[in-house]
Amino acid sequence: MNGYAEFAVDVDALHDAVARACVALEPLGAFADGDAVRYLFAGPAGVTALRCGRDDPQRTYRAAAGSVPLFDWHEREMRDAGGVAIADLPNPRASFADADGAPPALTVEGKGVSVIVVGPVHAGIIEPGRFTFSTGGETVIHLDVQLSYSRRGVERFLAGRDAVGAAPAVARICAACSAARSWAYARALEELAGVTCDERAEWARVVIAELERIYNHLFDLASVAAGAGYGYGQTHGLALKERVHQVCAAATGHRLLFDAIVPGGVRTGVVRDPRIVAAALGSLRADTAAYLDALFANRSVLSRFTGTGHLSVETARAFGATGPARRACGAAIDMRRLQPYGAYCDAAPAASCEAAGDVAARCRVKAAELADSFDLVERALRELGDAAPPPPAPLRSRSGAITTVVEGARGAESVSLSCDRRGRLTAIHVTSASYRNWPVVVRAMEGNIVPDFPLVNKSFNLCYACADR
Amino acid sequence: MRRPLTFTHSLGIRHLVCGSCNGCEHEMNALTSPQYDITAEGWDVVASPRHADVVTVTGPMTDAMRDAARATLDAAAQPCIVVAIGDCATGDGPWAGAPQAGAGAGVELGAAISVSGCPPDPRAIRAGLAEAARRLREPSGGA
Repeated sequence: MNGYAEFAVDVDALHDAVARACVALEPLGAFADGDAVRYLFAGPAGVTALRCGRDDPQRTYRAAAGSVPLFDWHEREMRDAGGVAIADLPNPRASFADADGAPPALTVEGKGVSVIVVGPVHAGIIEPGRFTFSTGGETVIHLDVQLSYSRRGVERFLAGRDAVGAAPAVARICAACSAARSWAYARALEELAGVTCDERAEWARVVIAELERIYNHLFDLASVAAGAGYGYGQTHGLALKERVHQVCAAATGHRLLFDAIVPGGVRTGVVRDPRIVAAALGSLRADTAAYLDALFANRSVLSRFTGTGHLSVETARAFGATGPARRACGAAIDMRRLQPYGAYCDAAPAASCEAAGDVAARCRVKAAELADSFDLVERALRELGDAAPPPPAPLRSRSGAITTVVEGARGAESVSLSCDRRGRLTAIHVTSASYRNWPVVVRAMEGNIVPDFPLVNKSFNLCYACADR
Repeated sequence: MRRPLTFTHSLGIRHLVCGSCNGCEHEMNALTSPQYDITAEGWDVVASPRHADVVTVTGPMTDAMRDAARATLDAAAQPCIVVAIGDCATGDGPWAGAPQAGAGAGVELGAAISVSGCPPDPRAIRAGLAEAARRLREPSGGA
């Protein structure tokens, strides 16, 4: 089990300490609770936090976003939701839309520039957000993404709740990364309590987390096919995704895996007979491989993917890209491998990489990861044999603060929380892979044509609910 | 007044997300997969509320979405039936009463039909839509 370490940093030294840590470690973002401001980093030893106490309410912090752009959203949220005074923000706009609407969009002005505003309600079955395109002809000069329409205030709502009892609510912050978030949350409570999970429960968690990755990656590929006008790729992909949901239901009793991973292990009854899961999988792996072969063998479709939505390795790093978005730019960063947890300590997958940074590269990374995920599910089912995991271990609450991170389908999913002695949440902060990746969708759209927005956007296929909370 | 039989079965569905976790959207999307294929019923997810016979709503309602949600319903042609999809929309979800959430999108927007579940199974959503189609076939047009 890897750990969490906190280092107290004086306010005057914080800015430089953050910049130095960004060189040595993988930055995860920053957040503020009532007690402190914390900048988070992942590395082989687990999560490291640089902590600066908020004992002086008049204190002003110097923004890190000026030199490390990935902190832009995090620091503005610290200001707007956490009441932290921050100087030198390069982009001081308000973070959130509210009952009076969204803050003004950032647009380009000049001769020949047209501005197209879309949202918050979209034409389809899509979460709400406002997208403002500044265009010259069909080419996008700048895309402004304004989210937070799904902001419910879940973090403030959960403060004060019993931490174990809040797990079902945490599972429902966002559906598509529910299992990953439940795992990060469970690990946080287990590490605070000093509890190690049963080995079979850890293998069952791998089954659950990899099924989540499989249905998400298939959905992404189907959606990208739709964005490229390839109906067969969309329809076939959606059919495979539906079959994964039926496997999820057979494995956990829930088509979207809600509440399968719980603090202390897995919910009783989850993967109770690994042979049933293996039977439900059936020919899904072979059929997925055939689907991917057909997708990548279509030269016309591939040409629509190639060069579209390009992201450079420098931009991906500077703006905090994570998961397949980052690995498609050549960086072999995967939390399952960088800081292995649970059964990944024995079974960390190779971090599948591509160099090109375009839609095609992101699709190829996901195709390779689908094969890895099926490997992991099969390995985990073999390890489980014919025995059900035991009931979740009881957790005796212990006070403290912690951040844990897991690798979800879209990248690093972290949960930061603190508990009091009675096991109640005093604060919780969720930073999702989608939140980390939205700023690079903007960069990937620059210089592309407006009609390719669905294609570029779906090659990331980010959530809104976990970004907004 | 009877409408021509040929036009009584189609359903234009406009989907409105009001702070959902996206779980209900995954199950709504499943309806367009080959396994459930609602186009076989003459149903379609439409790109404008002007084309909608049904507006499906999800989520607890958020402060930031309230005006846009109301504007969407106001833009819909009549008759139009609001269907609440999922426990958040019916006021039974985990975020009812959260600081920036409302009582349920279906509760606030006057849903005539409710489909419970977290999220509801695609078959349950299909049944809710079938009920909307049935009411629209009535002479009163679902009013």
